[in-house]
Amino acid sequence: MAVDTAELDRTTAPIKVRSSGSLDAPQRRFRWLVLTPTLAYLAFFTLLPLIWVLALSLFNYSPRRDGASVGGLGGDNPFVGLQNFQQLFDFSGQSQLAETFQTSVVVTLIFAFIVLPLNLMITLPLAVMIEAAARRLRPFLRTIFFMPVLTSAVAVAVIWQYVLHPQYGLANSLIGRVTGETTIIAWLNDPSMSVLGVPVALIAVTMAYLWMDIGYNLVIFIAALQGLPKSLTEAALLDGANSWQRFRYVTLPLLKPTILLAAVLTMISSFQAFDLFQVMTLGGPDNQTRALSLDIYENAFRFQSMGWAAAESLVLLAIVLLITLAQSRLLRTKWTY
Amino acid sequence: MKSARTLAIGAVALALLATGCTSSSDEESDAVGGNLRVWTHTNKSFNKAYQALADDYMAENPDVNIEFASFDYDTYIQTLQTSLPAGTEADVLQMFGSWTCSYSSNLAQVPDDVATVDEAQDDFFKGPLGGYQCDDALYGLPQESNVEYGATLVNTAMAEDAGVSLDGWDTYDAFMADAKTLTQTSGDKISRAGYHFTTNDGIAYSFLSLILQSGGAYIADDGSFTFSTPEAKDSLELMKSFVDEGIVDPVLFDDVSNWVGDCYFTEQCAMGLVGPWVVPEYAGDFPDVAATTEYVALPTLENGEFAADSGWGLTTSAASQEQDLAWDFISFVTQNAGNALEWNLSTGTLPALKENVQGDARDQLVAEASYTEPFLDILQDAQYLGSLPDRDRLFYKIIVPNVLATMSGELTVDEALAAIEQEANSL
Repeated sequence: MAVDTAELDRTTAPIKVRSSGSLDAPQRRFRWLVLTPTLAYLAFFTLLPLIWVLALSLFNYSPRRDGASVGGLGGDNPFVGLQNFQQLFDFSGQSQLAETFQTSVVVTLIFAFIVLPLNLMITLPLAVMIEAAARRLRPFLRTIFFMPVLTSAVAVAVIWQYVLHPQYGLANSLIGRVTGETTIIAWLNDPSMSVLGVPVALIAVTMAYLWMDIGYNLVIFIAALQGLPKSLTEAALLDGANSWQRFRYVTLPLLKPTILLAAVLTMISSFQAFDLFQVMTLGGPDNQTRALSLDIYENAFRFQSMGWAAAESLVLLAIVLLITLAQSRLLRTKWTY
Repeated sequence: MKSARTLAIGAVALALLATGCTSSSDEESDAVGGNLRVWTHTNKSFNKAYQALADDYMAENPDVNIEFASFDYDTYIQTLQTSLPAGTEADVLQMFGSWTCSYSSNLAQVPDDVATVDEAQDDFFKGPLGGYQCDDALYGLPQESNVEYGATLVNTAMAEDAGVSLDGWDTYDAFMADAKTLTQTSGDKISRAGYHFTTNDGIAYSFLSLILQSGGAYIADDGSFTFSTPEAKDSLELMKSFVDEGIVDPVLFDDVSNWVGDCYFTEQCAMGLVGPWVVPEYAGDFPDVAATTEYVALPTLENGEFAADSGWGLTTSAASQEQDLAWDFISFVTQNAGNALEWNLSTGTLPALKENVQGDARDQLVAEASYTEPFLDILQDAQYLGSLPDRDRLFYKIIVPNVLATMSGELTVDEALAAIEQEANSL
């Protein structure tokens, strides 16, 4: 078959990429036209608030006080430099605000590091089991497990609050049925109750959070499982690998990028968890469930200490960035399929 | 003789002139006109009551137009915070008394022809008025007394079953004995609290009120907080004794999962400390409990004083171009006893005007809501909390956690008081 070499040259010739400077005027106009809405959105709703938070964190700012003309900064809302940050890390016990912040960081870390492994330990096997179920049953199971994700977090909090209510809660009622005695356990309120050093109230909120959140990762894992090349598991099957070995040595490594994604998303969302804490415990008992986001919210909007809250939120941002970076390093893969 | 006649003519002329001036001045004050913008927070009964009074005012003053804008509570706070410094607020601003001093630099002082501080103190209870008074100047007039202490909810059916008298108590010992009688337990846990006061507000108001009733003070003359006092110690020990006696368990009866209103109306508490506003709030859902609900005055210590927040009232923006009209309307709403009573009756609030807890006004209030009667007798004892640097933080982050830690035995009374004093003074 004759080959049109001229045509081949045309198709294989390197594409000339022009630098942006070589765009002609209509092309440049079009570029700015399509970019402007996105850039404006980012500037107003992401960059500006971030700059504003940075600025606030350097002031002892409260909207209750009269400040100077520029955004209320200055005047009765004086510039304090890095004093807010220094105070956040004051471990002398002299500052109640700092102590509460430090407690909330610990609570948030415990919460996030309980949620993450439990979430993955539940969702990944569950996703495999759902995918292994009869084809007609799968949509039903996916819907059932995804439904809590669609439910309002406040509604979930109220339901769990009711389940764990000391007097008329379902949990105590069930225990009472089993033991035959009236059971009054204050799951969400008793500061003296703990399991392996973790307060029971925090475990209760974690349970509610997992119940609400697992559907999200489940869908991610199911999608990833459906996208895995069948040839690899079939090859392993031919090599005599059993189900566990196929999962452990084929499926799991292939899912590593998805696990990274799920881990990062779960970690970030558990650092941002707010609604359940706000409704179920309000940070109590004795600050045992005071998540950092709740502390930031209370300082900013309840006590109007915006400067302090801004500094706290920047620390939260730094923690999330560091942990995400570490996760990316740990779970990085050098291959794809 | 001639000079006497001249003097007489002069006197008559002066009198006529004075009369003429007076009548001219009266005509001017009667003939008010203009547009008035009023901001309030959204509350169905409050908004309806304001509109009714505004309609009456506009009927009396046809050249006046009053426009209302209302905001939900949180939005209202934020709107005030941003608009007051910017000077874009309405002419008349509904204000919670305890907020007033933090906005006073942008608010107009009450003109002397509306009310001097002394006149206002004669007319209004000091509890609600205190919030509107900043450094001896008055920045608004109150409409309601906001009372969270002084009387307790009592379930009369439970009291009758337990043989507890509703005549009141002379001492805390007598009160605690009755509260103990009304308490029910299941094993070692309290299943029905005799007296639930361990909510955030209940703890804070009880603590501060008991200090005042013991003849003490929590704000020293130099403005600093003082809690390491014998009176504060007595108060905290008294509060702790309710827990030690097994009348209430702050773990089971708290602010989040078993708030006093929920607890009382679901019949898990026989008595509970909360203001009278709670009754209409729950009566619809719990008519049977509401029907057997009464308030009974709490016992007092050395005196009957108790700590109270200021209540809702009206202020005028310093940036308003219609300040005279604004104050005339505010006076119409707050100082006119009939109008003030109408507002209290429509909103189910307690009067701020002393005149309205006596005579026919009192009868009307009692006929409308008999459960408020014990409060009408104690409103004169309400002491404004004081212009606190950060009331919410003092209450919920300093007093409440330390008192709870004392109740649970985590801190001794002295340790808790020292912590409260130190933390409060670092605000």
